[in-house]
Amino acid sequence: MLIEIGHFALVLALVFAVLQVVLPTIGIIKHDTTLSGLSRSLLLMQFFWILIAFVILMNAFVVDDFSVKYVASNSNTQLPSIFKMSAVWGAHEGSLLLWALILAAWSVAVSIFSRRLPAEVLNHILIILGLISIGFLLFLLLTSNPFERLDIVPVQGRELNPLLQDFGLIIHPPMLYMGYVGLAVPFAFVLSSLIRGQLDSTWLRWSRPWALMAWAFLTFGITLGSWWAYYELGWGGWWFWDPVENASFMPWLVATALVHSLSVSEKRGAFKHWTVLLAISGFSLSLLGTFLVRSGILTSVHSFAADPARGLFILVFLVIVIGGSLALYAWRASLMQSNNTFSLLSRESGLLVNNILLVAAMLSVFLGTLYPLLLDALDLGKISVGAPYFSAVFVPIMIPAVLAMVIIPFLRWKKDTTQRLTGLLKWAWVGVGLLFIVSALLVDNISVLLAVFLFIWIVAHSLILLFQRLRQKGSMSLAFIGMIFAHIGIAVFLLGATVTTQYGVEKDIKMDIDKPITIAGYDFILKSVTPLSGQNYQGNKGHVEVYFEREKIADLRPEKRQYVTGMPMTEAAIDRSLYRDIYIALGESLEDDSWSLRIYYKPLIRWIWLGGLLIALGALLATFDRRYRLRVKG
Amino acid sequence: MSLYLWFALMVITSSIWIIWFLYRPLKSNKINLESSNITLGKQKLLELEQDLHQNLIDEEQFNQAKEEISTTLAIELQQVGNIQNNTNNNTWVLILILVLLPLMSVGIYQYLTPKNNIVQPLESPKKPLSLGQSAENIVQYLQTNEHDAQAWKILGLTYFELGRLDLSIDAYEKSYQINPKDLRLLVEYASMMISANDSQFSEQSVKLIKQALEIDPNAPEALYLAGMFAVSQRDFNLAKGLWQRALNAMPKGSIDRVALVNILSELKTVEGSKEMPEHSISVYVDVSDEVLKSRSSEDFIMIYVKAVKGRPMPIAIKKIKLKDFTGQVVLTDQDSVIQGNQLSRHDQVITVVRISATGSAMRGASDIQVLSKVINVADNPFIHLSVK
Repeated sequence: MLIEIGHFALVLALVFAVLQVVLPTIGIIKHDTTLSGLSRSLLLMQFFWILIAFVILMNAFVVDDFSVKYVASNSNTQLPSIFKMSAVWGAHEGSLLLWALILAAWSVAVSIFSRRLPAEVLNHILIILGLISIGFLLFLLLTSNPFERLDIVPVQGRELNPLLQDFGLIIHPPMLYMGYVGLAVPFAFVLSSLIRGQLDSTWLRWSRPWALMAWAFLTFGITLGSWWAYYELGWGGWWFWDPVENASFMPWLVATALVHSLSVSEKRGAFKHWTVLLAISGFSLSLLGTFLVRSGILTSVHSFAADPARGLFILVFLVIVIGGSLALYAWRASLMQSNNTFSLLSRESGLLVNNILLVAAMLSVFLGTLYPLLLDALDLGKISVGAPYFSAVFVPIMIPAVLAMVIIPFLRWKKDTTQRLTGLLKWAWVGVGLLFIVSALLVDNISVLLAVFLFIWIVAHSLILLFQRLRQKGSMSLAFIGMIFAHIGIAVFLLGATVTTQYGVEKDIKMDIDKPITIAGYDFILKSVTPLSGQNYQGNKGHVEVYFEREKIADLRPEKRQYVTGMPMTEAAIDRSLYRDIYIALGESLEDDSWSLRIYYKPLIRWIWLGGLLIALGALLATFDRRYRLRVKG
Repeated sequence: MSLYLWFALMVITSSIWIIWFLYRPLKSNKINLESSNITLGKQKLLELEQDLHQNLIDEEQFNQAKEEISTTLAIELQQVGNIQNNTNNNTWVLILILVLLPLMSVGIYQYLTPKNNIVQPLESPKKPLSLGQSAENIVQYLQTNEHDAQAWKILGLTYFELGRLDLSIDAYEKSYQINPKDLRLLVEYASMMISANDSQFSEQSVKLIKQALEIDPNAPEALYLAGMFAVSQRDFNLAKGLWQRALNAMPKGSIDRVALVNILSELKTVEGSKEMPEHSISVYVDVSDEVLKSRSSEDFIMIYVKAVKGRPMPIAIKKIKLKDFTGQVVLTDQDSVIQGNQLSRHDQVITVVRISATGSAMRGASDIQVLSKVINVADNPFIHLSVK
């Protein structure tokens, strides 16, 4: 009965989402503040019913209610309790319910923390968020009901994909969804302004913290995904240019452009067209990502469903959202005229150039992701677009963007001169140049040398900027500190990614028991391989001793598991440090006392995720800047 | 509380929530767009002065930017319409909510829920029948439908659940007399008899299992019971073989695999160090003189079997240097690569002979490889392969 209550709660949530759109809209048309003010209370009830549905579904997993098709398909009695709970979002239906819950939670957060917004603006925003919620709740109820019952109840459920039985699953999807769905908030701000015909300071100022918050979550979610793929998939890689990864990376690039564009629009009133388009495309790309993952177009660990009906629904939803918002944009384009001028060398121009580069980079990823899918769909052949394409196209676009990124904060608003800029930074550039020359003597790899240069470039400029501000009393703000964190995060990421790619060692080797093998200066001795038995798997567990300069530094125990469903899984053993990882994956038994193993030496790989965390932390700090806590009197 | 009552409660709660806020709206912050834009305009001017102080804008541009902020503010204030808001009597909303909320929610729910799923909770809001009541109803039904084998079977199961084993046996026997070819019935009847007999196998239960296996030699439930019987006879080898067959007969991802895998693992513990009978494949390999001349005596000859479909990794392998190779090997479970994936667990395999300079698992360019036809493992076959 509880399951039917959960299903009904979801229906009630849909009804409340409809009312959240209809009643306040009538209120706005009739200038009735009671009706228009209902949006907040209706939203709270919508959130409440989705939460009830979510809790009921989670309970069904915990109590092994296999009469529910979704539970029977993704859990069994032997699954550890923590994974039973996270299995709720381990497949399509539940993850969509989580998506709807997060959307409602973001909307509630907007209604609570946007007290500085005029009620009429807030009501419009909540109506737009209600419309998006209707789309997702309909999608859930019509094509992806998580509460569907089975006619014949199995005594045991199936297995949750072993790849997903991991801490990563508990935290990666919710964080990523927070980012994806969070982009709905700046989108709703923009659309409400377009509908009201008032593209003013209010929406610009108050939408930026939400854009920053969504960007922080998206960064954190992508970083977690990369870390999870690294240790869980057993390949030792951290980014594969997989279309589903790209689907999250594209909105991230646009969101990066958006938070920078908004900073100009809110302060100087420029780039309104650009900001509006970025807000629309940011959310549209997150919907596109959903379409790619859910339609069955892509096959990967992320792809939940191969159901054309679902794909068609999202495609129609995507067309309505993109088409509708662009039509609205065209209708209100005249309101976005700005008389604010700036010269070619100014902070505005710098940010615009960086924005264009970010969007160009996004388009290169877009092309590399969708072109092979399009060719395949049109029966024009199959092509594979991987790392070589992205290294050749994406990287060259990003290098100037990264170089300019730390120069722009030194530029003056509206107008600057090259003489002033060079005068200000010439000694810094000399220092960077000297450090680069020293690096060139030590580093023999061009790519690494470039990464070292960019690292020095970014860190040097960021530190100079920091000291400059420290000298000026009262000029420090959370937004500024956040910017420094985020820029240094980019530098840390760049260096980590390049060094690990260029200097990393990967060996597929055969190892005999007690016979040492040397890789990247480390000695590895396979001591034993013993049978392994877990709650829902069997397999083998290796024991490898790792020595450096004859001193034992680690005992690593990689596992090869065979789950009861027959799915094999590699559990890599990793000796972690900030400077390098030693990563061992156990392969197959080749003959008596002989095993195949994959041993990776990954220098600075942790810097990749450290960089991601710094960017996310920077965005989070900027969100709480005092400028966004300004009191507005009624 | 019945489902209907729960739904009603949820709808009433929702209606009360809306009505409450309709008459007691959430407090508004009283901020209007005009004052918001004015405050932000002032703030932008303050920030501009701060930028000037931090040398982020020069004096001339500062004045121009100041003007721009003022102009922007003026435009924004022009755009704000002077609309008088009011609060109306919204009785019509109240009526609409009271009518529409239950209609919409129940209507959508009915539309979305397949009839067979909602009919039961909606049409029978009473408590579900107890097992005793169910048994009585079935008995009543059987008084007029005494040749319904299915009903007798359900009655047998119901009595079994009630602990009435004597009545359960009678009911199953009736069903068996009507339809002795019902595989499901044979397995259930046998299981019930074993349970009723303190987990001991009687002649009758063994007969039922045999009959079930005659109908379908690969019926997993029957194989499982047959395995249990073999264990009771201390014939662990037979038990293992039967359960392996049951495991093979189950589709991948089957819900019963978990239990069976655990039982097999327990069996291993029980059996201790005893040798298990296993299937074997004897492979005779003729390596031609030409090939021998072209290879080093230090090269490896690898003889292994792999699955007919799926991953190409070896199931069981022997790797010997050419100089040590006698022309014949026997592959058994002892040569399996993964403990849980022994040779005996496979029905059909392909034998591969490969001569390799490195002995690497991956096939090299200079390797010579010969494959057999698909062979049945259960036949313990002898294979002859020639490497020319």
